[in-house]
Amino acid sequence: MRRFNLRTLAATAVLGGNLALGLALPGSALAQGFPSKPINYILPFNAGGESDISARFQQSVFKQVAGVEVVIQYMAGAGGAQAWSQLNSMPNDGYTMMGINLPHTVLQPLQKEVGYQTDDLTPINYFHYTPDAIFVVKDSPFKTLKDLIDYAKKNPGMVTMSGSGSNSSNNLAQVRFDELAGIKTTYIPFSGTGPAVTAILGKQTVAGFNYAPSGIAHADKMRMLAVAAEKRMPAFPDVPTFRELGFELVGGAYRGLSVPKSTPQDVRQKLSDIISAINAEPGFKKKMEDGGFVLTDIGNKDMPTFMAEKKKEYAALAVKLGIKKQ
Amino acid sequence: MDILQYLLDALTPLNLVLALVGVALGTLIGALPGLSATMAVAILVPFTFTMSPASGLIALGAIYTGAIYGGAFAAILVNTPGTPSSIATTFDGYPMAKRGDGGLAVTLATLASVIGGLVGAVTLLLLAPPLADVALSFGPTEYFWMAIFGLTLISALSVGNTVKGLIGGCLGLLLSTIGVAVVGGDVRYTMNTQMLLGGIDVTSALIGLFCIPVVIDLVANKAPHLTVLQDDRGYRMGDALRIALGSKLNMIRSSLIGTVVGILPGAGGSIAGLISYSEARRSSKHPERFGTGEPDGVIATEASNNATVGGGFIPTLVLGIPGTPPDAIILGALLVQGIKIGPSLFNDQGNVVYTFMFGLLIATVLMLPVGLVMGRYAYKSIVHIPKSLLVPTVAFLTVLGSFAIHSNAGDTQMMVLLGIAAWVLQRYGFAPSPIVLGLVLGQIAEQGFVQTYMIGNATGGMAAMFFGRPISMAIIGFALLTLFYPLIATLRKRRLKQAAVERTDMVVEAAPSTQRPYRDMPAIVFGVVFLVVGVLAYMQTKDMSAMGSVFPGALAVALVLLSALLIAFQIGRPAAPRSVDVSAEGKPSTARRSAIVVALVVWAMLMPLLGFFVTSLAAFLVMIAIASFERLTLRVMAVYAVSAVVIVGAFHLLMTYVLNLRMPLGLLF
Repeated sequence: MRRFNLRTLAATAVLGGNLALGLALPGSALAQGFPSKPINYILPFNAGGESDISARFQQSVFKQVAGVEVVIQYMAGAGGAQAWSQLNSMPNDGYTMMGINLPHTVLQPLQKEVGYQTDDLTPINYFHYTPDAIFVVKDSPFKTLKDLIDYAKKNPGMVTMSGSGSNSSNNLAQVRFDELAGIKTTYIPFSGTGPAVTAILGKQTVAGFNYAPSGIAHADKMRMLAVAAEKRMPAFPDVPTFRELGFELVGGAYRGLSVPKSTPQDVRQKLSDIISAINAEPGFKKKMEDGGFVLTDIGNKDMPTFMAEKKKEYAALAVKLGIKKQ
Repeated sequence: MDILQYLLDALTPLNLVLALVGVALGTLIGALPGLSATMAVAILVPFTFTMSPASGLIALGAIYTGAIYGGAFAAILVNTPGTPSSIATTFDGYPMAKRGDGGLAVTLATLASVIGGLVGAVTLLLLAPPLADVALSFGPTEYFWMAIFGLTLISALSVGNTVKGLIGGCLGLLLSTIGVAVVGGDVRYTMNTQMLLGGIDVTSALIGLFCIPVVIDLVANKAPHLTVLQDDRGYRMGDALRIALGSKLNMIRSSLIGTVVGILPGAGGSIAGLISYSEARRSSKHPERFGTGEPDGVIATEASNNATVGGGFIPTLVLGIPGTPPDAIILGALLVQGIKIGPSLFNDQGNVVYTFMFGLLIATVLMLPVGLVMGRYAYKSIVHIPKSLLVPTVAFLTVLGSFAIHSNAGDTQMMVLLGIAAWVLQRYGFAPSPIVLGLVLGQIAEQGFVQTYMIGNATGGMAAMFFGRPISMAIIGFALLTLFYPLIATLRKRRLKQAAVERTDMVVEAAPSTQRPYRDMPAIVFGVVFLVVGVLAYMQTKDMSAMGSVFPGALAVALVLLSALLIAFQIGRPAAPRSVDVSAEGKPSTARRSAIVVALVVWAMLMPLLGFFVTSLAAFLVMIAIASFERLTLRVMAVYAVSAVVIVGAFHLLMTYVLNLRMPLGLLF
């Protein structure tokens, strides 16, 4: 009862705030001449991760493409839920956008009460993803994916795989790969990409599921056995995809931009177009691809189809991971 | 020669200016509790896009090292670690300041920081590639044992009060498990609130646990915050140099510990400081002086935390693995600049790397004059500012700092809550330091433990995994030594004394018969409360996965046992006679202290609803009233009111426009 009252109160407050803002900023006239001042770009994570790095790449060409600067702010907490749960109460004039990630924003609400539902968020453009990939240290006896699978078949559970976090994209990939290859590996979650890679390099684990960009930073120390991209990546022409090797594993962490739900449709479109234009900028494109990121162009218009597809895919995987609402 | 050329490159006027400005800005940000080195570096990143890579790196390195150093100011002058790296600086720095040696403590911290920073930077310059592999030799097991080593400091910090210290440690460790678990993904102890989902932020907890008690006690009476010696001799450089020379071994040891811990990606300045402090205490001739204002404590912490800067760059530049959180951001900035990290960096782009390393060295040296001037200024302003303004200013900084970390008002509320709890607990013998140690080391200990367990389980060598690894064995050895050293030292002292007795046949007076202490009723009450907390915590582990429940389950059991022990000890003691009343004179003002507590709570609760500026200004004015012991003349009142507007306004602008923080979206502003 108490809980209900608090919620009503909060909802009323949010509504009130939105009304006040709505009065101050007539919605549809906004898109003309947008953007005319710096745009706030909120990241729901701490500085230094893949989200930050890709946002910084965007920042370095943003002015050139959009004519205004972008100001990066951090609002980390609860694996992103802290920021995402507040997004809809932020100004809806298009000058506030927030990084948004998959599978996070689908899996988190499935698992627990995080203050938002997947459909509460309004992604406008998913501009890249970092494919999952299996890594071993350079002097590992496993030269190919087949070597690793053969060993894992003979020694169930003995292959330890480091990865970033529990119920993350890395974790999902490991579960799917075990199933596709008919093997059993042991997933060891670490508190981020850095520690997970360190565990591979330090031979604390036999192998690791990590994101492709790690293959750039540690090219001379780690071997990538296979990558979960649709086709071979320009940065790793010699690394086969899982698909080539007969495993239907394509995926990774998707990163995009979202806006408060009440942001007018034409402003959303304009922002989405800016992000797409940055993706097409040759210098940006080269830097991202050299860094091991795979650019995607899922704009505002394609979003409903893309999200429906992803929600279905992750929901099925959540069952396999044993995720249920706590 | 190339190397000389790089040194000259680093000495261009632009690079010198960048180093100087970077260090000064970093020191300022570090000195403000809650504004961290990570934040300082993140703000500067976009500015470096337009610079040459080496200049950009120099600016980032300078601001980083400055911020780590600046944390010492707040630690010494207001008992609040400006950054987690200076937790251990509060242990002795603040007592020094209280007794009038604040200027000396600041100068010592500056000297130690410069030396530590130089050791770290020189190691980076000369030994980076071979040392980088140290980062890889530490696995989950080693991190687990290192955290345990850090926790053994509790036994040293709570001599004579061990059970209460251990209970505090358990509480801190339990607090660290709140939120979403990294390993296993369980949601633990959130009581179904969103506020606790992200866990308790270490920095905001530090601010609350250390600083709120200071704020509350400041209004207890009108005595000045810090003692000022009659003959305030400024920097006291002579004294500082003499002490520093006498402690050169401590200085070097702490710098080396800091460098090595900096190389380890999972650790950082806070752990380096704690371990160096612990080692300095263990090897000191006067371990009992630690915690009461021993200069060696300040030297150890400050030398080692600045050494982590150079150390942290080693894996960052050689392996592309960030040694510390600010390094992660710098790594990102390098990627945007199009610089490829890795061993080839030192050959292919030696000009960038070596120019940067020299730049870092120069910035570290510049820290000496910059730090002395800024430290002197900080000390003077803290000493001279009237209490009516000091109390609201410090309170304002706690609110601002705890909010700034994640732009989250929930952190501020948690900070105030923990602070009030710490103040109450402290009055009954539960010091905040063990709680902080538990909170800081908890996650490292748990992740290391569970990962080791899982790997051991999968590969079928549990015991070998935990105890058989050489580095682990060495760390376990050190931990045992620290744990039992007080005991060994006492035994040895007793034996020496005995020998003396036998030799001289002197009649040694029996130690003054310490009267058996009376029963401590509050301790029994707290014992019962913690017992219940332990039982509840244990019951909640039932719903968790096996991975997620091991650690909190074990802690809950430990808490229950320790609480039972505390109660049993106390019940065994004779009841206290009716206590003698403390004379009314000089009695601390309960009304004012209660008023401050209420003001803090209301402030934290209203801030997200009404807006940051309005609530802060109102709270500031209320606190001026609470902290004013004399009737204020109209003129003074006006001056104070203007100061309030200026201070709150200036920080509001700083937060919004310089640090780009999102302020609470309240009804007002």
